[in-house]
Amino acid sequence: MTSAEQVAIAVPTGALHDGALSLLARSGLARLGAEELGRQLLVERDGLRVILVRPSDVPAYVDHGAADLGIVGKDILWETPGAHYELVDLRFGGCRLVLAVPDASSLDGPETWPPMIRVATKYPRTAAAWFESRGQAVEVVQLHGSVELAPQVGLVDGIVDLTATGRTLRDNRLRITAVLGTSTARLIANQASLKTRTAAVQSVVARMRKASSDAG
Amino acid sequence: MWPRPGGFFTSANPSATPQLGGVPGFRDLLPLEAEILREAQESLLGEMRRWGYRHVITPLVESMDVLDVGLGIEQRRRLFKFTDGRGDVVALVGERTVPVARLVAGKLRAAALPLRLCYAGPVLSTDEGRFQQRRETYQVGAELVGASGPVADAEVIALAARCMEATGIRRYQIDVGHAEFFQGIMDAVKLPDDVKAAVRSALAARDFVALESLLEDTPLKSAEHELLLRFPALRGGAEILDAAGGLVRNRRSEAALAELARVRELLVAHGIGEVVNLDLGAIRDFDYYTGVIFEGYGPDFGRPVAQGGRYDGLLERFGRPAPATGFMVQLDLVSEMLTRAPRPPALPRLDAALAWSGPGLSTALRLGSTLRLFGMRAVVDTEARSTSEANAWWHAVGAANLVHCLSDSVVAWSATGQRTRRLPPEQVAARLAGGVS
Repeated sequence: MTSAEQVAIAVPTGALHDGALSLLARSGLARLGAEELGRQLLVERDGLRVILVRPSDVPAYVDHGAADLGIVGKDILWETPGAHYELVDLRFGGCRLVLAVPDASSLDGPETWPPMIRVATKYPRTAAAWFESRGQAVEVVQLHGSVELAPQVGLVDGIVDLTATGRTLRDNRLRITAVLGTSTARLIANQASLKTRTAAVQSVVARMRKASSDAG
Repeated sequence: MWPRPGGFFTSANPSATPQLGGVPGFRDLLPLEAEILREAQESLLGEMRRWGYRHVITPLVESMDVLDVGLGIEQRRRLFKFTDGRGDVVALVGERTVPVARLVAGKLRAAALPLRLCYAGPVLSTDEGRFQQRRETYQVGAELVGASGPVADAEVIALAARCMEATGIRRYQIDVGHAEFFQGIMDAVKLPDDVKAAVRSALAARDFVALESLLEDTPLKSAEHELLLRFPALRGGAEILDAAGGLVRNRRSEAALAELARVRELLVAHGIGEVVNLDLGAIRDFDYYTGVIFEGYGPDFGRPVAQGGRYDGLLERFGRPAPATGFMVQLDLVSEMLTRAPRPPALPRLDAALAWSGPGLSTALRLGSTLRLFGMRAVVDTEARSTSEANAWWHAVGAANLVHCLSDSVVAWSATGQRTRRLPPEQVAARLAGGVS
């Protein structure tokens, strides 16, 4: 638990990590080296407590109130909607959630889809909702890694995956046929923190909002 | 002492035995947790009684016909439904305000309004919830039916505050808002209907990034736009009403602000001005609430533990139009908060462990009756024990005193931190009942 004035923020490992630390520094909140946080996982500085967690765990820390704020990709929020407030588009870590099929596949636009399309993904909820909203029957195979492999060995017709540059897809001879959504890093907040420690939390939010819009 | 939850009671059951862990989403409450929960429930009901709220008990099962009238589609979806022997569809209750409304419009139709009623009981949901995979939770609530206006609103808010206090929660806070403030803005703001719908759903999802981009794309900018964008930050004391008053240009919102100002004054008179914050950006089920709404927060807890507000439309749907306001306290969250507090509530422990050997049994039984007559908690052993066995049993049951009954006339009395004394049973009873240990 945090004290009345200290604000705790959950920062993700992975693709958004460097951007998150750089934003904290630009906001004048905390200057942290990646190695320092990687070693300790929890660093307290200048009234800010920074917690390093896996990207998909950020909403859990925030929803339960272990962190007042969290930096998390919108892609994670699609999969795990929670009780938090989504406050600011931090405008970094941009990427797209796409439907990709093998280069050789005949699949392209919706008119070419089979009556039941099979896709592999790490985003089962988002993928299912997207196809369903288009009246397309879908069988979602949830995988936890190397999703690109699945269509090449005939497990599925295509994949729904996140891509920033499209390079991994090209390397695996996959082409994009649809974009399900675009994602950037977001600042989320615990609902009770906003209510019970408004001043302290809002001041951190305001500084991060400013720093992110200055950069954008 | 009893083991803490998650201790040896729940572990180590071989996989071949029946489902000793229970059904997923449903929890056993072990003695410590169950006792804290029950104490908290009695404190809440006791406070409600002191404010003149009469206790009602409605069934765990309600007819779907009734629930259809009172609940939204999302709430209905989460109900455990089944058919009873006659083929009627019934459900386990997911909240208890609708059953109380049914009661007021039905069996209590002849009772004069306003009615003050309170209830306590479990509620069930097929949804395991975002937080702790619980499908059964406990709610204690109060409803004031038949009274409109700020005096009634302030009464239930003050009652909610005193209820939180009564359970022993320290440093709590009540956030008060108004459903009409938002409705007025939505009326006034010039947006196409589909954008308005999107604004509502973005707010319901607390997604301010989506809200911002929706409003950015609209050509018309107004003070109301500005208010929507600042929604999560519209909090504070009386000054926030003036600030918002300068921005809104519609009757509904202005009336809401005036009502909030009056409620705030009354809450100060109730003596709880200190714990009240105004929150114009409170986001709740706007289809259900029609006026002043509020939430209660405890210290360092990520969720509201109490919530309520005015719902003037519900009773009408049951054929007895009446204004109403009320709230419910999430009893399991309260007890969780109390369990985790720096100083958990001191629950009465066992006063006496009565062991016996050979001829001492009848003495032990007699002594047990006497002590209980004085309101003490005494447990009599089920088998004869030697002195060392009795000591081990004493520590296992965790009582303040051990009385080892050796015969009709002599008992060995040990109190925590004192040497053992041999005395006649009457003397021990007198000393224990007299509070001397």
